[in-house]
Amino acid sequence: MNTLRLLPLELGRLLKSRLTRIIVLLTVCSPIAGLILYKPASASTMLSVYLANPAIAGGVAGGILFALLTVFEWDRVGRSRTDALIDAAVSPLIMALTRLLAVLAAAALTLGLTMLVWLPVSVKFIGSVFDGADYVLAYLIFMGLALPLSILAAACAYQFTRRTDLTLVLYAAFAALSLTVWADDWQLCWLNPCVWALSDDFSNYRIFRSAAYMRLTWLAALSGIWTISYLCIRQYGKGLPTSFLHSARKLYRPFLALLLLACSVTAYAAQPLVDDSNPDLTAMTFYEVPYAEGLICTGRSAQVFPDTSAGTVSGTATFHFQNTSGQEQAAAFGINPGYDVSSVQANGTNTPFSVSSYQEYNEAMLEVSIPSEGQVDLTIEYGGFPQESSGMASMQGGAEISTEYLCLENAELSPRLLNVLPDENMYPTVIEITLPSSMTVIPFGTSEAQVVAEHNDGTKTWRYESNSTGGILYAGDYIREDIEAGGITIELYYGRRHQSVMEAAGAADAVKAVVDYCTEHYGPLSFGTGGTLKLIQSRVTGGGYATNGASLLDEADFTADNLSDTGKGGAAGEVMIHELVHQWWGLGNMFDTADGTTPWSAEGLTVYTTYRIVKELYGQSYAQEHYIEQWRQAADDYYLNFYVRNPEYLESLPTDKQLEITNSLAYVRQYCEMPLKILKAEQLVGGEEAMDQILYNLFNRELDLTYPYLTYQDFLDACGLTEEELNLDENISL
Amino acid sequence: MEINIQNVSMSYPNGKQALKNLNLDLRAPSLIGLLGPNGAGKTTLMKLLVTALMPTEGSILVDGQPLDSAERLLKSKLGYLPQDFGLFDELTVTQFLDYMAALKGLRRPKAEIRKVILAVNLEEKAKAKIRTLSGGQRQRVGIAQALLGAPPFLIFDEPTVGLDPEERIHFRNLFSRTAEDRLVLLSTHIIEDVQSVCDQIIVIHHGQILFAGTPEKLIQSASGHVGVFWEKDAAKEQGLRITARVNTSEGLIRCRAVADRLPAYVQPEEPTLEDAYLYLISGEVAE
Repeated sequence: MNTLRLLPLELGRLLKSRLTRIIVLLTVCSPIAGLILYKPASASTMLSVYLANPAIAGGVAGGILFALLTVFEWDRVGRSRTDALIDAAVSPLIMALTRLLAVLAAAALTLGLTMLVWLPVSVKFIGSVFDGADYVLAYLIFMGLALPLSILAAACAYQFTRRTDLTLVLYAAFAALSLTVWADDWQLCWLNPCVWALSDDFSNYRIFRSAAYMRLTWLAALSGIWTISYLCIRQYGKGLPTSFLHSARKLYRPFLALLLLACSVTAYAAQPLVDDSNPDLTAMTFYEVPYAEGLICTGRSAQVFPDTSAGTVSGTATFHFQNTSGQEQAAAFGINPGYDVSSVQANGTNTPFSVSSYQEYNEAMLEVSIPSEGQVDLTIEYGGFPQESSGMASMQGGAEISTEYLCLENAELSPRLLNVLPDENMYPTVIEITLPSSMTVIPFGTSEAQVVAEHNDGTKTWRYESNSTGGILYAGDYIREDIEAGGITIELYYGRRHQSVMEAAGAADAVKAVVDYCTEHYGPLSFGTGGTLKLIQSRVTGGGYATNGASLLDEADFTADNLSDTGKGGAAGEVMIHELVHQWWGLGNMFDTADGTTPWSAEGLTVYTTYRIVKELYGQSYAQEHYIEQWRQAADDYYLNFYVRNPEYLESLPTDKQLEITNSLAYVRQYCEMPLKILKAEQLVGGEEAMDQILYNLFNRELDLTYPYLTYQDFLDACGLTEEELNLDENISL
Repeated sequence: MEINIQNVSMSYPNGKQALKNLNLDLRAPSLIGLLGPNGAGKTTLMKLLVTALMPTEGSILVDGQPLDSAERLLKSKLGYLPQDFGLFDELTVTQFLDYMAALKGLRRPKAEIRKVILAVNLEEKAKAKIRTLSGGQRQRVGIAQALLGAPPFLIFDEPTVGLDPEERIHFRNLFSRTAEDRLVLLSTHIIEDVQSVCDQIIVIHHGQILFAGTPEKLIQSASGHVGVFWEKDAAKEQGLRITARVNTSEGLIRCRAVADRLPAYVQPEEPTLEDAYLYLISGEVAE
């Protein structure tokens, strides 16, 4: 009997069942849980909020629902004695496989229906940054693959136990493990993949690869276990062992089960996405490698060829050494653990090398023997799939490589020299990278990349010079705007997908206003030396960094939702101002973020500065109405709240209600109360000019590297005020 | 179609031996009645014949091939109505038969489905959901699915349970027509059904075959062992098994009984198949 011929028949029967229709309907509706209840993707990008969360929630809910359907369908044929008729016509083994395929097909149809239903909803919510490929991949991988895993798990449990109650308990335990203990282990959380963010402005193939890899690993494992359970299907009135032995007489069956299990174990153990770095973040082994005596590096270059389809990188790195020791030396390099080194040649001759299995800070150590010759040109051929750090395994996506975006940091770009000192010119570096012509290359720093060749295959080679052992390179489908402000040229780079949002928010005007104002009042950005500052909108990173000549803008701060947050500004352009002010107040380690509910944070000074800029741009009355009055109203409402006045009753509320009130506590304190306090301080210290001077001094203060944070006490001390003096009355009137 | 049962024994995991060293040859065309008291081993025998069970000893040959290698062949030639079965309530009668036809691998099921629906008198319910059917109608759907594809080997386990007398007669005749060119095994407690249509009878008791042969031969075996008497004349004697007790209009009670040796007050009668069956079984019990 041909299983595939029976499949449409069984599927047709299944779809006629009322329970199946209810399950399908509930599954189609289930992504709504990701909008209101279950939000594992914590980033605030539109795709995280309106695509990743609904798709993941749909996968969790749909998976559980289809597991219940599976248990019901497997149980009913025995319970209703329909099997007495069916088994007389077809082998129970064939019927079990047919039934499994039918439920899987029903799940696939349900997924398709869900995607159709949610398409217009997602397009509406996500707006101009909606992307069809992201939509399809998110639903297929985050939601779609959860359904077969759940179905297989439930079917396995039933075929082993033949008991509904036990099957439900086993499935519930398996699902609960994923949702709790395994939730932060990207390889184990089979039901709820570790997806913390999806980028709006750039591609998301890396996180899709990661989630798909995890799901396919589990698919192989559960298919293997299912095949074993299939052999345990009771036949001829026999028990489990006899039925197993009888079914396993066809040797390809147990062989297939073992093959699938072996595939899953191999896929788990040899996963290519995340490295095996030492989890001890205080380990500094690579920095303790002794410098090679008599060996100096006089320059280096690299030709890098990212494959934007495969997400891989290949390259050739050349290092020029002077060996004055007259002896062989060992040079050590940090290299991304995902890369293989195919050859190392010194002056054109192969030279011995080894790559350590020990990894630290997302690098493995490449050790190369340097011959005793005086001048040595060392050429390293490397390439592979860059791995992300195991410490950040639950927040993957950073190593994105596509035609829309890539970011190669240090050892991902080229082997990073660890133990060879430079000559007096430091490490003169020339990097050439060949990419699709739609991509703009942005070295993170003062270097400028230039196109040096255009190729017939639609790629361009970019070249830039720098001076370091590492380096960070961004490239992507960027829009660049040059803005003269604060006496420097700001190169503002943002993703093409985000163009309409940035233009609507008046990004260029906001940048100019902020840089002019903040430079004049607080001093120039320390990273803007050299007359140019690149402001690069990065793929969602959950943080940022800056260096001489470049600073990152996290795309999550510029989403359409964020730009309409009235707590940050009266209009999108003002929120843009708010986010740019963070370049002065909040970059790097300026504020201790350990306690997210403390009133003193980057937001207080940023909201206050935004108010001052808006006041300068649009006048006192506008700023009064859209800022001070808004702060007062929010603070008044908050302090007049019954539960805030009577906190003893708060505990009697349901947890979600308590959270709603306590969350509003943090928001009002940081975005409304603190700006009001700074405003009060401004009045007490003698007005805006005096406050500007205080803030200037604070911004340019000498940093204590052991505790670099700007604290509230620092602020009070600078103002010559006490905490009590800045207390606001319950009925705030400034 | 030929089934050979050779030295078949069947024991359940709990130790109960359901069949003991059975030997039978079943050949088409034939309508074979399978008789025996509850727990005799009838259902076990039928389950062995549909491969729902596997014998612990002996072998079953299907057209000369051992059953364990001819399972697919057997299933392709089998129509089976179990005593206890379920249907998919969400389907209509036609949909269910279409489902079963596909399971049986029928290539042009529509005509076949129409034929069996007609055969079991379910035309009016053809498009009704199975959940709306009465017990008798569900039983008829069960019979219909067994008849699908005109299988050469049919097994019916208590097929007329839940049917009214008129329907019973209809199905009796249907089975008889069906058996003209096929092998039909009919297990029932209703002796009348067997007597009317079966050309062969197998009586099974305690897992062993007590009788295998024609109904006439079974009846003949009881000749001289069946009689009637008035209850008021009866003495308390051992070995007399009353098979019927009738209250007459005169207020007297007339009894029918079987015995190895009839007492003098018992007037001998011509045995029926039921008498013969009970005589056979009672003899076994007496032993």
